[in-house]
Amino acid sequence: MVQDLSTLTAFIDGEPMRFNDGDTVLKFIDRHRGRGHVPTLCDAPQLEPYGACRVCSVEVAMQEDGPRRVVASCHTPLTAGMHVFTESPKIRKLRRNIVELVLTDHPLDCLTCEVSGNCELQTVAAKVGIRQVRYPSGANHLNRSKDRSHPYMTSELSKCINCSRCVRACDEVQGQHVLSMHGRGFNARIIKGLDQSFMDSTCVSCGACSQACPTSAISDVFFSKSIEATRKTRTVCTYCGVGCNLNVATKGSEVLSIQAPTDSEVNHSHTCLKGRYAFKFVKHPDRLRKPLIRYNGHFTEATWEEAYDYIAKNLQRIKEEHGGNAVGGISSARCTNEENYLMQKFIRVGFGTNNIDACARVCHSPTAWGMQKAFGTGAATNSIEDLEYTNCILITGANPTEGHPVTGSKIKQRVMKGVPLIVIDPREIELVPYAKHHLQLRPGTNVALLDMFAYYILEAGLIDQDFIKKRCENWEEFEQGLRNLNLDESERTHGVPREKVRAAAIEYASAKGAMAFHGLGVTEHSHGSKTVMTIADIAMMTGNIGRPGVGVLPLRGQNNVQGAADMGCQPHQGAGYLQVNDEANHKLYEEFYGAHMSNEIGWKIPQMYDAALAGKLKALWIMGEDVVQTDPNTEHVKSALNALEFLVVQELFMTPTAEFADVVLPAASFLEKSGTFTNGERRVQRVNAVIPPIPGTKSDGQIVCDIMQRMGIPQADYTPDGVLAEIARIVPFFKGATWENLTDQGTQWPIKEGGIGTEILHVDSFKRGLGKFHFFRFQESKEIEKHHDEFPFILTTGRILEHYNCGTMTRRTGNAQIVTEDLLAIHPDDAAKKGIESGDMVRIFSNRGEVNMKAKISTEVKPGILYTTFHFPENLVNMVTSSECDEDTMCPEYKVVAVDVEKVPASSMPKKQRMMEIA
Amino acid sequence: MALAIPAELESKIDEVITHYPVSKRSAVLPLLHLMQHQFRFISDEIVNWVAAKLSLEPIQVLEVVTFYPGFRQTAPGKYHIRVCRTLSCAMAGSYELMDSLCQAAKIDRSHVDHHHPIAVSEDGKYSIEFAECLASCGFGPVCMVEDDFFEKVEPAKAGELLARYSA
Ligand code: SF4
Ligand code: SF4
Ligand code: SF4
Ligand code: FES
Ligand code: FES
Repeated sequence: MVQDLSTLTAFIDGEPMRFNDGDTVLKFIDRHRGRGHVPTLCDAPQLEPYGACRVCSVEVAMQEDGPRRVVASCHTPLTAGMHVFTESPKIRKLRRNIVELVLTDHPLDCLTCEVSGNCELQTVAAKVGIRQVRYPSGANHLNRSKDRSHPYMTSELSKCINCSRCVRACDEVQGQHVLSMHGRGFNARIIKGLDQSFMDSTCVSCGACSQACPTSAISDVFFSKSIEATRKTRTVCTYCGVGCNLNVATKGSEVLSIQAPTDSEVNHSHTCLKGRYAFKFVKHPDRLRKPLIRYNGHFTEATWEEAYDYIAKNLQRIKEEHGGNAVGGISSARCTNEENYLMQKFIRVGFGTNNIDACARVCHSPTAWGMQKAFGTGAATNSIEDLEYTNCILITGANPTEGHPVTGSKIKQRVMKGVPLIVIDPREIELVPYAKHHLQLRPGTNVALLDMFAYYILEAGLIDQDFIKKRCENWEEFEQGLRNLNLDESERTHGVPREKVRAAAIEYASAKGAMAFHGLGVTEHSHGSKTVMTIADIAMMTGNIGRPGVGVLPLRGQNNVQGAADMGCQPHQGAGYLQVNDEANHKLYEEFYGAHMSNEIGWKIPQMYDAALAGKLKALWIMGEDVVQTDPNTEHVKSALNALEFLVVQELFMTPTAEFADVVLPAASFLEKSGTFTNGERRVQRVNAVIPPIPGTKSDGQIVCDIMQRMGIPQADYTPDGVLAEIARIVPFFKGATWENLTDQGTQWPIKEGGIGTEILHVDSFKRGLGKFHFFRFQESKEIEKHHDEFPFILTTGRILEHYNCGTMTRRTGNAQIVTEDLLAIHPDDAAKKGIESGDMVRIFSNRGEVNMKAKISTEVKPGILYTTFHFPENLVNMVTSSECDEDTMCPEYKVVAVDVEKVPASSMPKKQRMMEIA
Repeated sequence: MALAIPAELESKIDEVITHYPVSKRSAVLPLLHLMQHQFRFISDEIVNWVAAKLSLEPIQVLEVVTFYPGFRQTAPGKYHIRVCRTLSCAMAGSYELMDSLCQAAKIDRSHVDHHHPIAVSEDGKYSIEFAECLASCGFGPVCMVEDDFFEKVEPAKAGELLARYSA
């Protein structure tokens, strides 16, 4: 809209100023006079205007000396020509009186209050000039009890000023609806849930309320708001692919607390409990602090020098005796881009082999592969920001409120504002009650369901002819495949009534713009890559690519799973996704590294295990990954590790994988090192060390540099900007990236010269030229074919909010007090048949092994389906999971396992489970 | 114990919800009235049920319940009495009326506070609370027993009034 400039002027205390369309009076004043010029109590930048406290009152008039009216500036829209008076005597008096009244019901123990010095009420009281309260004390709320029930969240509501910021934060930022105002008037008070404690309520400990509260009425055990730290460092969370920015307060080498920066584009002053509170593992006594070398079966502490010598000697020997191909590396999606880059360089240059892989193998390798096939780029086509513009959200096999909490909250916020949500998931996930459509399919039948979904789009004539014709290829084959579908058979296969599928398909296809999210429920299947490609098909046939508010967005599991693949920790592609067996690329790499390199595709992780057992792989280097606990079929992995001649593990803690090592190297955590992580929307963000590595440890990057130097491979010492500069020279889409120009907000790749990022991919054409349709017919998983008769239940696995993977880190924080065990969800009908009650110990068994765990009876799963998380290794649910994997990428099929279940007789119950140590 | 909702009530509720096509959240108030009519007060169980029915979080229902004094959170007696205490009635003697009703009904109001406004007689037959203006200010003191309305109630005749509700 073109605006006449003269209409965009208003006056602050007589001075003409420009304002923006949609400004409130307060926003206008804040912009010109600075935040704080007008005092506020109930207003906060991350929340919608509310207008409760009236401290922000100003006088307004339509003429300079016209009649004036007092309004609350925070929620009053500005109009052209308005005169705003911010400091008139009347206003000063009013504000002073309001704050004075607030203080009559506020304990005057500022000096001992945890937020003293950083309390908004204190600041405002000082600003309005209160020296003493004139009113006698009367009825008040000074005796409310404190809530100390929770490992993180605290409340002391006698300090509450009823501004409702916490309530709004919980509703508008997190979307959890835990808090509200009980009663009204003088009796109004904040409650949690049905007037419960934090611990008993449905609070997910995100901390949004604590960050929003202007006083210490709601806070946390780390006193996050009050911290007068010697230093605050901005860095990036390590717990998931959202990549939240964190402000970490430290004093010396002590991490005091973590808050979310309000200006962060990724998380806008929000985090989940992992990012904000789960940092106490850093100084946990279990941290490894010295290199360990195994002599005669026992670990002995060693110096770094000894460890490096020992490693170099052994690796050199193995290379000479068995060739470089007998060595392999497993890199980590937890580590930085720079470290992943160095790791693949070390293996490729040092041993002339491509036996390098990363844990992306076990989660999103099908995404990278499938999206490359369809679009040419194995990464999210759009940004999370696009949620603001979309008209429909489709989520397949992902549980964002648990796995990607901050994105989950954003999705929930949009859905609560009326954007239709379609959930395709075997389980009733937290978002389902908000969804317009829930297609609750049998695990393992994604392709059958999505084919039917596509069919109904075609049938309804909702395809984007123009897009298909101009931008895509292979449509005819795809269309033919859909037209030949046997709908009866599909319906029987996936078990969702076809009318439901049709309604959802029409919802998606008729939206002006629709976004498709997917997670591990798509990839960790025998047809994972095919499902990814079918999702891509659906996006292309409806033209949902290449503009704001559309796209295909994998919810990447770990913080840097995108980066690990980008940096070349894959056996078939080097840094920047260049195929290693392509002649030109091979030459390019050899020239770049000045070394002899292999042009043969290396082994993927599961192939490495097989090779180890076959005696072909002799040495393995694992950086920051606990494969024993997290890879499927534990026994197989263990025997593979046992079969190795030499295993090096870089780790924070003595994990079950490290137990198998010949050398364990104590690494530094993300809070102790610098580099970059790439989040799920391709955003390369700076990770800054907030404290130095704890004594005795080194960053993974430095360790790899050290060993390269020791083995005579040319490599400078580790500096994040130095390694990034090298990456920028070889990875095409990092071309313009420098440490400086990534800025605080990070930059989405491809990064062009000058540090210009790219928010949306495939705008005018696909990376691969034309987008390619692929049709796949559903095929039953071998797991089900082989074992279903004997083991009639399908076990599927997932994660919960409170824990990260096998819990190596989160279980060493207060999170362990919130969720203490994995539970098996079983439908009431099945439970009745098997005589199982909630809380009973049950035995789950397959042809590979068995585990015992507690049952939880729940309708979140359909009959015949069992569900559990995998965060508590004492359960080692991976004992029962199979070695079946995605046909294209060997991503294991964690999501479909044939098992049976029975109640454990009380007498044979295992000894009381080990109590967990808590920092 | 699961809440038993009579089929008739549930179909009435389903019908009421259709009056709010834009946001089911708007149906909280009418549903709470129906529930209070049926169950006499709004228990946590009812809060949960209404929340589930409207796809809301329980607290979004509870905040409405606690905002309006007309919703009761504890069980009243068989006959629930509301005595107006707003200005006109107060001046016309509503406090005296309250006292004599309590005496006649054997109700102890000493534990009443803002969060627990209702007092119940020992035998559970009567309960009483103060209410705000009942809209008949010219004829105070005013009170209601269940849905019956009484004007100019003389405190001395409290016993007589209760006698009508002795069944
Ligand atoms: S911590 Fe988060 S979920 Fe819990 S009450 Fe506060 S805002 Fe709500
Ligand atoms: S707890 Fe804090 S944020 Fe919530 S109403 Fe009270 S003062 Fe405001
Ligand atoms: S949402 Fe993910 S990145 Fe953000 S704080 Fe939580 S775990 Fe960390
Ligand atoms: S800040 Fe405007 S009313 Fe509270
Ligand atoms: S004051 Fe009692 S009815 Fe109005």
